[in-house]
Amino acid sequence: MNPRRLRPWGPFAALVALCVGIALVEPRFATAQNFFVIADRCAVPLILAVGMTFVVLQGSIDLSIEGVMAVGSLAMAMLVLNSRTGFDLGFAGIAAAALAGAGIGALNGAVVTRLGVPSFMATLAVWSAAMGAAMFMSAGEPPLVRDPALRGFGLGRTWGMPNLALVALLVLALGWVLQDFTRFGRHSLAIGGGEELARLGGLPVDRYKVLAFTFCGLLAGLGGALESARIGLGHVEIGVGQTFTTVTALVIGGTSIGGGQGGVLQSALGAILLAVLANGMIFVGIAPPIQKAVHGAIILAATLFATWHLRGRLRVVQ
Amino acid sequence: MKLPSTTHRARPGAPGGAAGRPAACAAALAAWLLAAGAATAAPLCDKSEIRLVNSMREIAQPYHANLHKGGRLFAAWAGIEPRYVLQLNHGDSNKQVSLMRGVLSHNPKCTVFNVEPNADVVIQPMVNVASRSGAWIVSHWAHNEGLHPFDGNDQWIAHVAVNSLDAGVSISRRLVDAMQGKGGIVALQGRLDTDPARKRFAGLQQVLKDQPGIELLDHQTANWDRTAAFPIVQAWLAKYGPRVTAVWAANDDMALGALEALRAAGLAGKIPVVGVDGIPEAVAAIAKGEMTATVASDAYYQGSIGLAMGVCVLTGKIPLPRTWPKEQREFYLRLQVITKDNAMQFQGDPQASAYASEWDCNKLWSRSTGKAF
Repeated sequence: MNPRRLRPWGPFAALVALCVGIALVEPRFATAQNFFVIADRCAVPLILAVGMTFVVLQGSIDLSIEGVMAVGSLAMAMLVLNSRTGFDLGFAGIAAAALAGAGIGALNGAVVTRLGVPSFMATLAVWSAAMGAAMFMSAGEPPLVRDPALRGFGLGRTWGMPNLALVALLVLALGWVLQDFTRFGRHSLAIGGGEELARLGGLPVDRYKVLAFTFCGLLAGLGGALESARIGLGHVEIGVGQTFTTVTALVIGGTSIGGGQGGVLQSALGAILLAVLANGMIFVGIAPPIQKAVHGAIILAATLFATWHLRGRLRVVQ
Repeated sequence: MKLPSTTHRARPGAPGGAAGRPAACAAALAAWLLAAGAATAAPLCDKSEIRLVNSMREIAQPYHANLHKGGRLFAAWAGIEPRYVLQLNHGDSNKQVSLMRGVLSHNPKCTVFNVEPNADVVIQPMVNVASRSGAWIVSHWAHNEGLHPFDGNDQWIAHVAVNSLDAGVSISRRLVDAMQGKGGIVALQGRLDTDPARKRFAGLQQVLKDQPGIELLDHQTANWDRTAAFPIVQAWLAKYGPRVTAVWAANDDMALGALEALRAAGLAGKIPVVGVDGIPEAVAAIAKGEMTATVASDAYYQGSIGLAMGVCVLTGKIPLPRTWPKEQREFYLRLQVITKDNAMQFQGDPQASAYASEWDCNKLWSRSTGKAF
């Protein structure tokens, strides 16, 4: 069998193996109720992973998403019915938070393309600035979300499926369309595969980079707002740990950090795998102090399993 | 030794808060001045020379804002408000010490510091500064091992410690009561590498030892974080279903995250939830009946009691601290358990009258639960 055909199935096989393994140890893991719990858990990470994928496909990275989520969280909480301000925008508050995120993403893109700062440093600086802005907005008195429709949406379900997971599926579909059916998606792969070649070939590389950062920011802002709708509070630390989780999800899914390899469906699989792992450890009953170690070991194993086929000839592992 | 008793003393803290009225305040002040004349020790400073410094991290979070409010409340009550100073270190331990040095260039011997340490290690250098300059200091929370006010640190009036084991025991008792002795608990721990996280959880284990009808189903860490607590509680509900009849959390933030997960499952208010800290949202949830209990160190008290001790020493109404017994120099603070019965009291800012009886020079140790450490 042609190994190229097997390529996308690596992460999927890893996910299935993990699920089967956990279910064998603890049958209560494999219930419909827990399926929806996992869906709820991976909703926001999946949205973030879709956004990050385009940035990473182009060979850049976005380390600002925790800061963008914080701004999105506070922007949403302060624009809907809340304990601090007089606004009452309802669901438009979520859109406003996503737009604020897109604005910060565009700033990332501008700093990278116009000022020529490496994305690693540029987005790290923007992360810090965005956290500062969010702390300023929070002012020691975090706004509570009081809009019952929004809270109901954040905590509720439709046909059994958590609403946030449905939003995540929509975002995934959008990401897939962007990737496979638009010039932006195809050219992103080309840029990651060889930026100089893409430039020589006449592609508007800078424009696509700004677009990718903007899209990533938009989804991070959306993620922060959705998390806030669920938790009921505008919170500076709403996204703590998410940058690392998102990058891990991408790598496990088989999206190469070097760019030019992978896609949104693979990244989504990675995000789901991480959610299953975190949920599964509670079911299996691994003691909290050693969970971190088990987490690390399984991530390493999953990455090896999922990306073994990428260790092709002439490929330098960095 | 016994403390010298002073003659009649107004009790502005009488129930009903009548002392909030100006007349009663004036009476309290008059009593204060009278008592000063009747003191047994010679005053070290005239009241007009005394300066009060509250040293803390910041005032953006509710806890710290209330430390400051408590200090100001005391200063106004004692008639020293113009010489009340607030020092904020913004999380910088070196700055906390250098701010202290800065203010001591003038009149150090009549200056009292009430210190919320940025870190345990900052207390030693601050005590050193006090010893060299002759200023007075009262510290809170925890300090490094092997360091004590009674080991020759005469300017270090006292250390008011918080007992995290006690906090864990208090909320666990309330939880067990609410469960009527049977059912299953799931517990959210704080960061496992911190001392309060370990001691609060030890408090739960201690209470559960005598509760054969209650099972600790599982415990996980959510790193003090509300967002992290949410999916953990959801996973528990999927794993244990109706066997989960109570949620224990090592702080209010995680308790509130758990509460939202319960709300998503239609269980908010039906399953008892407890936390620690007494943050305003938790107090509101308790008043609403969605949380069972939390426990607070009482920031207003912590922000004022050290200043009250200093004023009592400087005005000579109590003897010099070096003559006090050890349990008065270093003691645990009695924590306040907040339940539905008393939640109303903890909503909004208190009046000076609520604390006046505890600022009384004879009652400075009324919240001590005994020698600390």
